[in-house]
Amino acid sequence: MLANRFSQSFLAGLMFIFAAATAHAEPIVNQPAPVFSGATADGKTINLADLHGKTVILEWTNHECPFVKKHYESGNIQGLQKQAAEQGIVWLQVISSAPGKQGHVDGDTAKKLNADRGATPTHTVFDPEGTIGKLYAATNTPQFFIINPEGVLLYKGGIDSIPSADKADIAKAENYISAALKELAAGKSITKSSTKPYGCTVKYAS
Amino acid sequence: MSVTRISFAAAVSLLLGCFQAQASSYEAATEQVKAQLVASADAVHPGDEILVGVQQRIIPHWHTYWKNPGDSGLATRIDYELPAGASVGEIQWPTPERITTGPVTNYGYSNQVTLLSRIKVPDNIAAGGVFPVKAKVKWLVCEEECIPQEVELALDLRVVLPDADVGRGSPLIETACVGLPVASPWQISLEHSDNALVLKIKGLGQQSASIGNIWFFPDDWGRVSHGADQPRHIAGDTVELQLKSGDAPLPSGTNLTGVLVVTEGTGSDSVTRGYIVDVAGSDSAPAKTESKLVLASAMLLALLGGMILNLMPCVFPVLSIKALALIKHARHEPRQTKLHGLAYTLGILASFLLLGVILIALKAGGAEIGWGFQFQSPLFVLAVAYLMFTVGLSLSGVFSIGSSVAGVGSSLAGRSGYSGSFFTGVLATIVATPCTAPFMGAAVGFALSQPPVVLLAVFLSLGLGLALPYLLLSNWPSLQRRLPKPGVWMDRLKQGMAFPMYAAAVWLVWVLAQQSGINSIVVALGGMVAIAFAAWLYEITKYSAKTAQRTGLGFSALLLSAALFGGYFGVQTPASAVAVANAETADRQWQPYAPARLKELRDQGKPVFINFTAAWCISCLVNEKVALSQDAVIDAFKHAGITYLKGDWTNRDPEITRILAEFGRSGVPLYLYYPAGVSTSPVILPQILTPEIVTQAVAAPAIAFKQ
Repeated sequence: MLANRFSQSFLAGLMFIFAAATAHAEPIVNQPAPVFSGATADGKTINLADLHGKTVILEWTNHECPFVKKHYESGNIQGLQKQAAEQGIVWLQVISSAPGKQGHVDGDTAKKLNADRGATPTHTVFDPEGTIGKLYAATNTPQFFIINPEGVLLYKGGIDSIPSADKADIAKAENYISAALKELAAGKSITKSSTKPYGCTVKYAS
Repeated sequence: MSVTRISFAAAVSLLLGCFQAQASSYEAATEQVKAQLVASADAVHPGDEILVGVQQRIIPHWHTYWKNPGDSGLATRIDYELPAGASVGEIQWPTPERITTGPVTNYGYSNQVTLLSRIKVPDNIAAGGVFPVKAKVKWLVCEEECIPQEVELALDLRVVLPDADVGRGSPLIETACVGLPVASPWQISLEHSDNALVLKIKGLGQQSASIGNIWFFPDDWGRVSHGADQPRHIAGDTVELQLKSGDAPLPSGTNLTGVLVVTEGTGSDSVTRGYIVDVAGSDSAPAKTESKLVLASAMLLALLGGMILNLMPCVFPVLSIKALALIKHARHEPRQTKLHGLAYTLGILASFLLLGVILIALKAGGAEIGWGFQFQSPLFVLAVAYLMFTVGLSLSGVFSIGSSVAGVGSSLAGRSGYSGSFFTGVLATIVATPCTAPFMGAAVGFALSQPPVVLLAVFLSLGLGLALPYLLLSNWPSLQRRLPKPGVWMDRLKQGMAFPMYAAAVWLVWVLAQQSGINSIVVALGGMVAIAFAAWLYEITKYSAKTAQRTGLGFSALLLSAALFGGYFGVQTPASAVAVANAETADRQWQPYAPARLKELRDQGKPVFINFTAAWCISCLVNEKVALSQDAVIDAFKHAGITYLKGDWTNRDPEITRILAEFGRSGVPLYLYYPAGVSTSPVILPQILTPEIVTQAVAAPAIAFKQ
């Protein structure tokens, strides 16, 4: 019995170590979000740790992806960006497309794209190596993560509840990001904190 | 392989050629995907149920998605537009494949896929008119880039009178049916803990050697991490697949549903098939503590059970002999008595340990066993019956080994001293087993379903229980003093004890008769007569002159070997004869394959269907279950007067190997159909069968196909 108890606690310990090690590989809601840094479209470097004290939204994007187009051409994402800005939330667009792949752009192109679309993210972060994307296990564009001022992950998932490339579905769908922003503004916790993202595969190098 | 597939496809299209004249499909194409709407019939009757399908032919390197697209992507969507009163079912999704792009895993289809749906034609539709089927199909097709596409397809099916022919429709429907996941032939269970799922597939272990690949595709997004490795572990006949929970872990109380895809073999000879999984999860964490409690009580039960065994008719005589010996030796030093008790206990424990180890080994080998498994062997049953009888004779006083008149104790296990006590323990275990079978079934049944350590613990408890009374007696001088004084009553008791032994022998002969048929009774009883005669000869010549003694011993040995060999050969043959007879009486549709039998049937021009199979071949067994043993197929065989032959390649019969090679195969399954007629060539059926494939093949007019 004693040996049994020992082996059990030993196993539990192993599991804990394993869980801690893999926490970085796949972010878990209500656990610290992985810290990263990356180059922005302005030619600066941004570090998540420097944004301590602010709520941060990460938006994985690829301007040529039909699902991204659906939500930009309809003005859906621009609306969310305004809503976030009013609440003092930092919005980071992340582009993990590798050089030569769909959606890979330079700083000027990224800025021009946003200007043309009327998009107002706080920053556009480049991740050509896919480091940040893999840190967050981002698989889709669009895909979202919300991190609270203490650096804890509050949300991961998709933009809304109807997976399609059809703009007509936006009005019918439940917008998860809009709902999360409203709940944050009201000081509530996010009801649907992990949802299914849909869209194009993130264009990693490998 | 590919040659045979083509020949079958050619055969089908040949047959269908005449019906395909009027286009029953409507096509639309994008740059990546050619889509067409097809149906299982060219026309419909009012009230029919038909299958319609949307086939996507996808250019190389691109893919469309399964109902759960995996980490990204989008499932294909079909919206049917049908006349009023018609209804359509859900899409039947063929078995998907895994498509990996960097760290992203998707589930979908490349090259081509046909998505089937069942449509009910309204009863009130007028014959002579048209039943229009319209489908709006939306899909996402991806290589590196993803393109959402949408097409509209339409198909007009003629409505004909109830007795009119509806044609064969598109062969794509049949091909698509083959690709649908089927019911699993195995018992699948699920162990569910916080972060992991273990899918246990009982029965697949036997065929584990032939599995090339195995993968579980969850129906719902995020139930399982889509790309995480699914390490497999083989425990006896069970294959355990470890699944990592994904972003939408299985809520407790919910069934895990999905498709288990098993690829048998590797390379071009491999066969891939999907099996439907729908299992309720059991939480493993509480189960563990529960089994701990159960283990303690099972050990206690086993201990008590072992003690009760001492009173069983098989064991009590042996034990009483030991007790009698104890009484006799009561004047000996207590230390010596204690050592005797220990040796006896060790003998029992060693025997139980050995039994446990054998059980574990058999379990690991995948054999289906229960307690008393040894009694599945008629030879073992016969040997124990002989042993019981011999012990009985010895107790009755027909013979005794050694010169001691009261040397029953030593006669039993040969030697006196501590080794004698040890072997008495072994003997007690052997003679105890027939009694444990009915009484200990439950406890040992529990142990058999447990890991090896638990099994051994239960077995040793059982042994300890059996040894306990004598062990206590030998260690407790005050108990010994309570035993009655030696006297004539000991001899009487001993002789009386012979009768339970004879009774046990009778029971065993009855068991033997169940296993090996009525003739084995003659063998067994004849053997007993020989043994009795040998014992008598041995005893009467024991005290005679040397020559007489030698002759007696020689004859005894001869008789004994006659009994043993007679038993060996006598129960062997009937055993197989019974097996054959049993199989014959079962409701069996097939005959065993033999080249001569095939030639005879072919010479008569009779149609023949041959199934080359093996016990370790998964697809063979699945085909038999889902196709060959279905009523539709049995009826079709009966209707066409087909003789169904089955060739068993389990032990790699060289005759069958030759035939497989003749048809370009290196293994099973191989299905051949010889249509009626003396000079017809055989049709080779595909390796994955549906009832329709078989019935259509045997219903086809006899055209001489070239292989």
